[in-house]
Amino acid sequence: MPNNIVTAGLDIGHQNVKGVLLGEQGIMSRITLRLSGEVDTSAKVAYEKLLTQAQLKPSQVDHLFATGLEREKVSLADGNPTEMLCHLKGAHWLFPGTRTVLDLGAEGIRILRGDSEGNLTNFLMNDKCAAGTGIFLETVALMMRISLTEMGPLALRSSGKLVLTSTCAVFAESEIVAEIHRGTPLEDILGAVHESIASKIAQLGKRIGLEPEVVFTGGVARNVGIQQALKKHLALDVKIPEDPDIVGALGAAILARNSAGAKR
Amino acid sequence: MIACGIDVGSLTAEAVILRDEELLAYSLIPTGPRSAQTAVEALKESLQKTNLRPEEIDYTVATGYGRVVVPFANKNLSEISCHARGAHYFFPLARTILDMGGQDCKVIRCDGRGKVTNFLMNDKCAAGTGRSLEVMASLLQIRLEDIGPLSLESLGEPLKISNTCVIFAKTEVLVLVRQGVPLSQILAGLCDGVAEQVKGLIRRVGLEEEFVISGGISKNIGVVKRLEKKLGVKAHICFEPQIVGALGAALFAADFVKKQD
Repeated sequence: MPNNIVTAGLDIGHQNVKGVLLGEQGIMSRITLRLSGEVDTSAKVAYEKLLTQAQLKPSQVDHLFATGLEREKVSLADGNPTEMLCHLKGAHWLFPGTRTVLDLGAEGIRILRGDSEGNLTNFLMNDKCAAGTGIFLETVALMMRISLTEMGPLALRSSGKLVLTSTCAVFAESEIVAEIHRGTPLEDILGAVHESIASKIAQLGKRIGLEPEVVFTGGVARNVGIQQALKKHLALDVKIPEDPDIVGALGAAILARNSAGAKR
Repeated sequence: MIACGIDVGSLTAEAVILRDEELLAYSLIPTGPRSAQTAVEALKESLQKTNLRPEEIDYTVATGYGRVVVPFANKNLSEISCHARGAHYFFPLARTILDMGGQDCKVIRCDGRGKVTNFLMNDKCAAGTGRSLEVMASLLQIRLEDIGPLSLESLGEPLKISNTCVIFAKTEVLVLVRQGVPLSQILAGLCDGVAEQVKGLIRRVGLEEEFVISGGISKNIGVVKRLEKKLGVKAHICFEPQIVGALGAALFAADFVKKQD
């Protein structure tokens, strides 16, 4: 089929490389891979795995766009759109009513506003402070010796009695240690941690204004504890993709597709 | 007349005993899990250095985070007022005081009598507080007190640590270690970062000489030297910068005794 355009999108995050192969029928394969060593090497490994999963040869892919941190280091890439644009495009493709994207990553929060066409109109980000980001969740998981995936469900069982007063994640760590020694139930501590993160995200959201539909993307969006706490703060209808961490890569693949389509 | 000041901070607690406004004895101990117990121990330790009994103390003022739970205090006052008063005792010309503690950082402006006229504090973010250096010391497996001297072994422009957040900076530092960057250069970058943070806070309040630094970080020569260079002023530091708050509290206690008489 001459019109069967296949494109790839790679999104280099702080911790993971995410990849999507996009064809005529939609997403052909997707991957999330721990970043190790050089960005370019990790990107190549991720791309090869994407191809293997879809049983495609490199020659069958028309365009590859890379986004994320150090995206210009990805030597395979034909284009390097910003992650802001990619997250919005990806979310808009999944949910055409998208007007606001909350991208909740390992080391930063981004809030993106878009129009009905999925064009970026405004954005706000915090990548200066770990409060409200995934790395804070990871630190807590490590302290409590539980896995990241267990955290959200446990937090949902919190009585909600405990509130963390620290803004800074470093100070919050000491606060958590004190609560552990005091014998506060694990669930309550986790509830307070999730609530603290959600309130930081919501504060940032208020500064830029949130218009529905709101879509959560990024790895932290997988966490049900954050989902619940944040929904309560925002009091808005929220959409959560099945695979929130690949939305940026999907957006890159969509932009690659637009570019490849225009060329033909 | 015997007056006592107790400063229960987030990481250390200090007690100061004054006889007629003369420094008689002091103690400095780590803050334990129970602030009240810590205060009792700090007092005990300072009294041991004198031949005084607790009943002989005429008045006690407590300050610091744990000030409200000090069981034997007659009154408690904010650490802002106490630091200004204490700094003024050591350096009567002090007009700007930087108190760099374990968990916060304060810039205090005072008048010729040691009375607070303005202040600004950062207690929200660990960057620019002693805590950040503690975190890094444990990450790099060195002693806190070695950070300053080691950082001065690095010559030339300090390496730039691009992250402000201590949590993010930890990752950045680990990458530098893996790249084989010498420890002294990394420490120089960290001290410079703290100095830069603090400079921002001082700028917002305004700097008037003379300039005094109190609190634990003033013992870190790496931070002090870089801050002096950035501000273009010389900092006064007393022989034990961690007792400034407790000393201020003790001076206020002496005032109360005088008023009672």
